[in-house]
Amino acid sequence: MRGFLDRLYSAAGYAAAFFMVATLLMVVAGIADRALALGWRGTDMYAGYAMAACGFLALAHTFKRGEHIRVSLLLQAASPRIKRLLELWSLFAAGVLAGAMAFYAVKLTYQSWDFHDVSTGNDATPLWIPQIGMAVGAIVLFIALLDDLILEIRGKRVVHSSGEMLRNE
Amino acid sequence: MDVLITLLLVAVLFAFLGSGVWIGLALSGVAWISMALFSARPAGDAMAVTIWGASSSWTLTALPLFVWMGEILFRTRLSEDMFKGLAPWLENVPGRLLHTNVIGCAIFAAVSGSSAATCATIGKMTIPELTRRGYPEDKVIGTLAGAGTLGLLIPPSIIMIVYGVSANVSIAQLFIAGIIPGIMLAALFSGYIVVWALANPGAIPPATETLSFKEKLYRSRHLLQVGLLIVLVLGAVYSPWVTPTEAAAVGVLGALVLSAAQGSLNRSTFMDSLMGATRLFCMIALILSGAQFLTLAMGYLGLPRHLAEWIGSLGLSNVMLIVVLTVFYIVLGCFLDGISMVVLTMGVIMPTVEKAGIDLIWFGIFIVLVVEMAQITPPVGFNLFVLQGMTNKQVPWIAKVTLPMFFLIVAALALVYAFPDLVLWLPRSMKGAG
Repeated sequence: MRGFLDRLYSAAGYAAAFFMVATLLMVVAGIADRALALGWRGTDMYAGYAMAACGFLALAHTFKRGEHIRVSLLLQAASPRIKRLLELWSLFAAGVLAGAMAFYAVKLTYQSWDFHDVSTGNDATPLWIPQIGMAVGAIVLFIALLDDLILEIRGKRVVHSSGEMLRNE
Repeated sequence: MDVLITLLLVAVLFAFLGSGVWIGLALSGVAWISMALFSARPAGDAMAVTIWGASSSWTLTALPLFVWMGEILFRTRLSEDMFKGLAPWLENVPGRLLHTNVIGCAIFAAVSGSSAATCATIGKMTIPELTRRGYPEDKVIGTLAGAGTLGLLIPPSIIMIVYGVSANVSIAQLFIAGIIPGIMLAALFSGYIVVWALANPGAIPPATETLSFKEKLYRSRHLLQVGLLIVLVLGAVYSPWVTPTEAAAVGVLGALVLSAAQGSLNRSTFMDSLMGATRLFCMIALILSGAQFLTLAMGYLGLPRHLAEWIGSLGLSNVMLIVVLTVFYIVLGCFLDGISMVVLTMGVIMPTVEKAGIDLIWFGIFIVLVVEMAQITPPVGFNLFVLQGMTNKQVPWIAKVTLPMFFLIVAALALVYAFPDLVLWLPRSMKGAG
């Protein structure tokens, strides 16, 4: 189970990285299209969809690496007992929100499919296709939060602190 | 009633944030609560639609790409080369190599959109080099922490993209507007070093080598690569063939070519930069989507409008308004990072700013300056965290040695307020020409 979950988070992370490259390629395609009049349509919208897929699919992977930021003042100052309570609360609250996000992302995707919702841009993409990325990413984040909540309850959660997050803005 | 609702929501927000709930999700949570309690629209569906719209908007595509570009450059020998190219010229200026911090950061800022990345990339080279030569540690670290913030003001700038998207202001105009204040702030930092060095003779170690002008010029070849990259990125931002949003893609390609030319590009550095950028962008995207949802919820409550009316009824002069906002942002910046700070407040404060007749481009530069302060104010300041990681000094000490830089940014803010043309002249004349 552990191995499966970790592979799931990494797989989603690598998929996100793929969509980062796709975002780059789509923007470059847009430039090429304008310069050479290739007649490609909707590259800007595709870049947006790829970016959304990148952001959502990376959620769980980023969370597991401890790179989503939080205000840690209280956490650092608190006694181990209080700290554990705060961690449980944070994971619980975040889990509920991620669960809601996953549920409504799936619902939105389903509705887009059901109503044949089409992009308003000149790409005319059926919206449910790019929205799958959002739905899947939100579900995986929900699983990751649940996973960490259970680990925390069992006292087995390891929090990664990474130097990477420090270069974030 | 309004006041009660506002206080309640602010209290809930602080409870969420303070207890350590991840910022992006905390914002969504507060938005959810306020929509569920005070509006008839189903909160969940509104959330999904808003988050989808915010995170798939093509205007934002510059953001992940500039993040990626920074990650690539961080893994090259760029900072080493810049130090080699700059050092010979600065040995005879009062303050000597301390200026490599300021000028290095100013130059790197022109290819980087982020303050912490600028700080980390330049510091990677200057901290060990300057400490080895016996420069006073407090000045080395203080000037670096301050100068790193130039990464935000000198275009390209991630925070300007965030502001531009939230406030619906042209990102290209914001980029142009940041150039003169950025150079001015760099001059203030350098001026401070000169004055300090003159007032404390002997504190700065003597020059290690004297070079002829020709040799100096030859050493400057190390600056060629970063120079080309700057020309490429800024050229792309202002060129007619590429939109400012697309300039970021040109930047990524340029950074990859530079990295390949230096021989630092291989499978592992490429993957590291890609995964690093993906995670950083994801972190920012989660905050942005949460903030979009919160802005929507606030709009339903009519909070921004009421705030604007209330502040309008106080009859504050614009000076007072700016002073109040500055203090507000400095306090907020002690606890929040820059991006959260901007997206959290923008939806609420914008109507007030518009009502007061403040130019939105000018206000963008104001916001960047207060975010720069937030980067170096404890307990939460990202440049401080970066330097803590690089030097093993504690945050309070780093904050103390950075304090003079904080006051210089305040001074820059005052100058920009007194002479708004520092910000507005360049965008206006570019507009006139274009």
